[in-house]
Amino acid sequence: MSDLDSPSPADALDGASTVEVRTSASAALIPTIRAVASDLAARADFDLDAISDLRMAVDEACATLVDVAAPTSWLRCTFLVRPERIEVHAQVQTKHSDAVVSTDTFGWRVLQTLADEVTVHHDPGVDGAGPTVGIRLDKRSGDVMR
Amino acid sequence: MNESTQPCADFLETSLTRPRPGAVVLTVRGEIDTLTAPEFTAATDELLTSSGEILVMDLTDVRFLASSGLAVLISAAHRAEDRGTRLRLVVTSRAVRRPLEITGTAGMFDLYPDPESACGGRD
Repeated sequence: MSDLDSPSPADALDGASTVEVRTSASAALIPTIRAVASDLAARADFDLDAISDLRMAVDEACATLVDVAAPTSWLRCTFLVRPERIEVHAQVQTKHSDAVVSTDTFGWRVLQTLADEVTVHHDPGVDGAGPTVGIRLDKRSGDVMR
Repeated sequence: MNESTQPCADFLETSLTRPRPGAVVLTVRGEIDTLTAPEFTAATDELLTSSGEILVMDLTDVRFLASSGLAVLISAAHRAEDRGTRLRLVVTSRAVRRPLEITGTAGMFDLYPDPESACGGRD
């Protein structure tokens, strides 16, 4: 049974729809995850640039995590579709608790440009749960009207 | 042609042509991401080591550009400059135009709406 950290269903009681995709932590399966991101953003009436940005950001987050994932790890990507924004939580298992996602890379800077908010979280794992690394990003559906 | 035994393999196709003297065109079709980046990098190397004053990358049929692909493009722009020329990109899709715009890197290239105008030389 999964005892790993994830946004629980209760977190979505504010009206968000939740979609969770889990794959092997392999670059070959990231296209499927970004297709889900595009689909959700399109159905949530994101403008075309925001859909493109979200798809690229999800791809970048997943690729970054797959890079540090343990060989048999899963890649889990949870989408919380809220009015006017989508929140994405991506996570993998790592082999060692000191596996680190560098935020000093070109890819990370692109991710910060594409997403409205992005954070990385390293979890050493407790009570038998192995270490994991997660990236959370938020994207608004379009230009904020002022 | 990208051949792979993986059932979920990405699709990337590249071809190098010389439509007119002095112009070399690398046509790329499909998705440029972590999986296809090595092939894209190899094709880009071939373009940048070809002889010719006009170097064109036709990205008309590129449906997705990941940051790793963008990094290859930026590196290619620098290498073209080292050769005394500006890299020309044919860009028509949002999938390519948007990343160039949002990262502020569009100015590193000469952008064209189609391969014919991209290959136009100075007479």
